[in-house]
Amino acid sequence: MMPIGQRLLGRVEETQNQVAGVSVRTKILGIILALTVGLGLWMTLQVRSQMMRSLVEEMENRGQAVASDLAVRSADYLDQGDLPGLERVLRATSSNHSDVRYIFVVDPTERVVASSFEGTTPVEIVELTGTTPLDEAHHLDYESYGGMTHDFAMPIDGGRLGAVRVGLADSRLSQHINEVTQQLLLTTVLVSLGGILGASWLTWLVTHPIRSLVRTTERVRAGDLSARARHYTDDEIGDLATAFNHTLDELQRSHDALAEKEAARTRLLERLISAQEEERKRIARELHDDVGQSLTSILVGLKLIEAQTAHKALNGQISALRHISSHALDTVRLLSRQLRPSALDDLGLDAALQRFSSELKQRFPTVDVDIHCYLPQRLPAALETSLYRLLQEAMTNAARHSGGRSIGVVVMQRTGSVQAIVEDHGRGFDVTATRRAGSSVGLHSMSERAELLGGQLRIESNDDGTTVYVEVPL
Amino acid sequence: MSPHEIRILLVDDHAVLRAGLNALLNAQPDLVVVGEAGDGQAAIEQAERLRPDLILLDLNMPRLNGLDALAELRRCVPQSRILVLTMHDDESYLRQVLAAGGAGYLLKQAADKELLSAIRTVYAGGTFLHSEHAHALLQPAPTADSRQDEALAALSDREREVLQLIALGYSNKEIAEQLILSVKTVETYKQRVMTKLNLSSRAALVRFALRHGLLDDLLA
Repeated sequence: MMPIGQRLLGRVEETQNQVAGVSVRTKILGIILALTVGLGLWMTLQVRSQMMRSLVEEMENRGQAVASDLAVRSADYLDQGDLPGLERVLRATSSNHSDVRYIFVVDPTERVVASSFEGTTPVEIVELTGTTPLDEAHHLDYESYGGMTHDFAMPIDGGRLGAVRVGLADSRLSQHINEVTQQLLLTTVLVSLGGILGASWLTWLVTHPIRSLVRTTERVRAGDLSARARHYTDDEIGDLATAFNHTLDELQRSHDALAEKEAARTRLLERLISAQEEERKRIARELHDDVGQSLTSILVGLKLIEAQTAHKALNGQISALRHISSHALDTVRLLSRQLRPSALDDLGLDAALQRFSSELKQRFPTVDVDIHCYLPQRLPAALETSLYRLLQEAMTNAARHSGGRSIGVVVMQRTGSVQAIVEDHGRGFDVTATRRAGSSVGLHSMSERAELLGGQLRIESNDDGTTVYVEVPL
Repeated sequence: MSPHEIRILLVDDHAVLRAGLNALLNAQPDLVVVGEAGDGQAAIEQAERLRPDLILLDLNMPRLNGLDALAELRRCVPQSRILVLTMHDDESYLRQVLAAGGAGYLLKQAADKELLSAIRTVYAGGTFLHSEHAHALLQPAPTADSRQDEALAALSDREREVLQLIALGYSNKEIAEQLILSVKTVETYKQRVMTKLNLSSRAALVRFALRHGLLDDLLA
């Protein structure tokens, strides 16, 4: 079992957490309410006990005074044996003091000789003093029906003639104190209500700017960098709002700068790609048209010379030259197509892809490529080029890395977009890891191209193979 | 001008090549070059004027390119046979040329060996193709056969559904989400469909689905 100290500590901590968890508004309200109510109650109690003490003291003095005055006055009546006269004095005194419950005079044998009571004096009151000697003044409090009763006994003539007993009720006193207490409590409640109102206003004053600040933060988190916190007050919270706004300005600035850089990068990339493509096109065309035609001319010319000469040794040499020219022509044609297939410009994406797939089959004889291209009309030239390069990359990757036997390519026009899929049934790879490693320039360039076209590229890969999905808007 | 000579119009944007060809052809007793043109537009004008027996046409030319010129020439001078002489060995070009009404397709790298026989074949009313090309063209175009129809009937509803979604271009992940299956299960369905239909790629599946009208109600 846990030691009590530790449990207590745990409980305190729990309470602390609970208190810390409530809103600032509740905290402030709670503090103010607790203070007002606490202070009010403490003051009421304090006043009540103070009043009680002084009133009781005053009453004791009065009781003492009445008793000793009566003791002096009773002595004459007793000496003269004028008991009815004595009773008249007692009654007059009793009616003069509203809080006097009873007055009576006993002889030395403690027998009542005169009393303010109409009938007989109750025995239990007479016997209250019991063993107390008659020659001493004393004071006794006891509980009776109407509340506390203070009983004062005063010996007459040193006890020789008996004693005077005066009973004072403190019911009026209690009533008075209760009235004061009630008033104090009422004041406490009113002050508390006022405190709550004041506290509410105060908390609104304090929490309103904070709430506004929180709302601004949420807007910023949702991506609205133009949101600014309002400056309500010139206090610490106002300073916080100002600092927050400065931070936002800074954030907005760097965000804009970044966006600008990104836009510039995209523009540069676009221009790079199109420049590269233009350059390839130019060189391919030059190779194809100029060098190719020249080589063909040489070939035809050699054929002509061969036909016109009967010289055998010369014929052999011409034949060798024709062979070289023909080979050179093949090389030029291949180079030109690899740089940029003219089919892409002349016939479109489908033809260019078909052509590339047959080339791929030559490079990777074990791989079977199946292309299904459904495009009702030619796509914009830039889109055709980008898609061609992208699919070229995907197909080459599949042939080179997947280890699969077949590659499927689907290109289809949809409403408003073109979708292309390249799929292999090879071993697959960890797309995320490869991307993160940044080792694959191919993957990166495919994504870049797709993004430049405003489209997206997705790659799904597992043990059963890899599929590249590209969708670009038309 | 002997009535047996084949009258030829040379169309190529490369003057040196034209000169070489001119010399080579004119050296033949049965061939005569009656005209030359450096671009498609000039070729049409020349052809209308000269009405040659045969037009030797390059595909890459400024102004009107070869393929467009070919179609136009067929319209203007339908009696002239057209032999295309080009560096493009793409099947796609060949198909386009044949579709446009070309009678022969010769690669420039084989010009020295095959040009003369090609001209004579085409003039005689035949078609001249490079042997590799002829082979490619003879490949039967894939058609739906009755066995595939049976296989289609053998597909379960789920398999058919997966096939449709694949053909619509959905990724395996998307199919899995749509049919509330795991990606692995989708993969299994796909393999099963491919086995049942005896197809080996997504492209083949798409083609199959289109041909069998599986997407008709979905694409409409």
